[in-house]
Amino acid sequence: MTTSSQNANRMHRLPTLLSGIFLVFLTSWLGLVAYPALQLGALKPFADADSGTTFPPLLGGNAVAGQNVYASEGCVSCHSQQIRQTSVTHSDIERGWGKRPSVARDYLRNRTAFLGSSRLGQDISNVGVRQPDAKWYFMLLYRPSLVCEGSAMPSYSYLFKVRKIQGQRSNEALDLNASDAPAPDSEVLPSADAKNLVAYLLSLRHDYPLPEAPVKKEAAK
Amino acid sequence: MSEDLFRLHHTENGHQGQEDADMRRIDASLRLPTIILFSNAIHWLVVAALLSVVLSVKLVFPGFLGGIGFLSYGRLAPTTRDLMLYGWATQASLAAGIWLMTRLCRRPLGGILLNTLIICATVLWNLAVLLGSLAILAGYSTGVEWLEYPNWASAMLFLSFLLIGIWALLLFDRRASGHPEVAQWYLVAGFCSFPWVYGTANLLLTWRPIQASAQGPIQSWFCGALLTLWLLTVSVAALYALLPRILGSRLHRRDLATLGFWMFLLLGSWSGMDRLIGGPVPAWMTSAGVVSGILFVIPVTIIAINLTGILRRGPNRNGFRPVYRFLTMGLFSLLALGVLEAISSIPCISGTLNLTGFSEAKYQLCILGAVSFPLFGVLYEALPGLIGRDCWCKALTNRHYWLAVAGLWLLFGLMILEGFFTGLALIDPTVTFLNITSYSYPFHLLECVAQLVLLAATVTLGINLTVALAGDYLFPKR
Repeated sequence: MTTSSQNANRMHRLPTLLSGIFLVFLTSWLGLVAYPALQLGALKPFADADSGTTFPPLLGGNAVAGQNVYASEGCVSCHSQQIRQTSVTHSDIERGWGKRPSVARDYLRNRTAFLGSSRLGQDISNVGVRQPDAKWYFMLLYRPSLVCEGSAMPSYSYLFKVRKIQGQRSNEALDLNASDAPAPDSEVLPSADAKNLVAYLLSLRHDYPLPEAPVKKEAAK
Repeated sequence: MSEDLFRLHHTENGHQGQEDADMRRIDASLRLPTIILFSNAIHWLVVAALLSVVLSVKLVFPGFLGGIGFLSYGRLAPTTRDLMLYGWATQASLAAGIWLMTRLCRRPLGGILLNTLIICATVLWNLAVLLGSLAILAGYSTGVEWLEYPNWASAMLFLSFLLIGIWALLLFDRRASGHPEVAQWYLVAGFCSFPWVYGTANLLLTWRPIQASAQGPIQSWFCGALLTLWLLTVSVAALYALLPRILGSRLHRRDLATLGFWMFLLLGSWSGMDRLIGGPVPAWMTSAGVVSGILFVIPVTIIAINLTGILRRGPNRNGFRPVYRFLTMGLFSLLALGVLEAISSIPCISGTLNLTGFSEAKYQLCILGAVSFPLFGVLYEALPGLIGRDCWCKALTNRHYWLAVAGLWLLFGLMILEGFFTGLALIDPTVTFLNITSYSYPFHLLECVAQLVLLAATVTLGINLTVALAGDYLFPKR
């Protein structure tokens, strides 16, 4: 018998074959599951001596609830939350989506790392810095074409309640033109889910400095 | 020589004696479970194809079925993907895997008790898929890509896979004597991998989530491993098992096949990292993803060399036999996937094309081409033996083949082009994102057409299956 058929014959016993398969699986499991779980999973927030705060910043209660809305609405299907390393591409930073590449520690405060695999919509890892106005987000979610003509984003009007104006207009109501309002004496109010989602979006920033990801200070003008 | 070319079903002419009796016993032992698994899988395939059409229309007209929570894009998209992965592909792979393993091991599956257990597990599986999908649409998605089913649904899937898959491994251990075939190695690897991969990923990402800073690599590992270690291993097993038999030829390069098998498993398990090239992970993981993605073309080429060698040597080309056509298209898709994976793993290319329609094109080529076509081949080969008669309608089979081929390559081509153009636009910071959205509009419009063609293909398959199973009742012979 030749050596090759001897090797092949060893594979005809289930325990031998299983041992080989187990060892092969173990390599990727050790490298891509155990190592991240033990090393990246043990990362701690960084206490910045200059500013006296820890990075990443803690999320408020609404933002924590907002993560669940982000998950259930499937925002990750279209939006990514990763500014890619400059060794691969500079375009994410040049496009103004962030000041520095994202690193593992940036996702520390989240329940789920919504890295995303598709950019049907923009990357939103720093959207809390790029657009700090909550009312803009409410308009975007209610009807994207109001603030972003030509956008492919669908409407999340089901996250809003329409009710008749009782006495004074609520200060949470969306500022809609007469042509966009659902009815003349009605106002559109965000539901709790919408408010939590917007709080989460406003918390999205990867722009603080970390030892492994310093931020270039812009030259003073 | 009987163990080398043991025929897989008994309706072939000139087939006598002990092998025929063995075949009938094997068919009787797994008739109902296999038919139920395949039927349910095709049912979900049709639903997924319909939802895919709705999704592609929503990309072109965002207001289509808009403002309704359970029909929003963000809820429908994960539902559709999970239906393709778990409702269609995994379930059909279970059916194909068990059918292949019983024949390759020349052992019947078991008695009535085992049949009942497997049917109960199948009911559990489909209940999990149905209720899990409804839960996502109702807003209870976990938000983890490819693992969106709520925890109770994913636990049901895990349990029912164990209840079905364990028998395939036991069959291998109790098989009739003789050298195991290459196809059997792939099946053993596949049946071991799903519980390992699905269980680990769910445990660490959804059941008891670890810190989110570690989740990225694990999620990418899961996506790559699910496709290559589970779905593609069953498809490759189908190719290795069926192609030699259909052509009356034999696999000669066993040493090459052995090398290909181990490389396939090793590189396939690292292949998911190409999703995270440039991502928030240590650089060595990214490099490992690049290397394994490029080298993955080697085991794929080995498989292609082994099997195209058979295609050339075989005495009967059987060019017009449907099963042969489905299998060769599956093989071609697998080879194309390997080459594409190698090219797209090169960092400068992945930096441009990742996160665009290019990634989606690779996924669709895998799931619709390299995974689905061999599964269709197994279905068309298996059912006549299981039912005991030549049951497929040739016209419908032909139509299904051509519609599926046209739909796959049209969709793939459009997504590749879309990915190419949007990728080039994304790396140019002077092009606004709204412009990029408008560049991709014509591609999305044509992708609606491709999805309609795929829907027609799956509906044709559904009708073909219905006629095959119930033909005697629907069209009784006078």
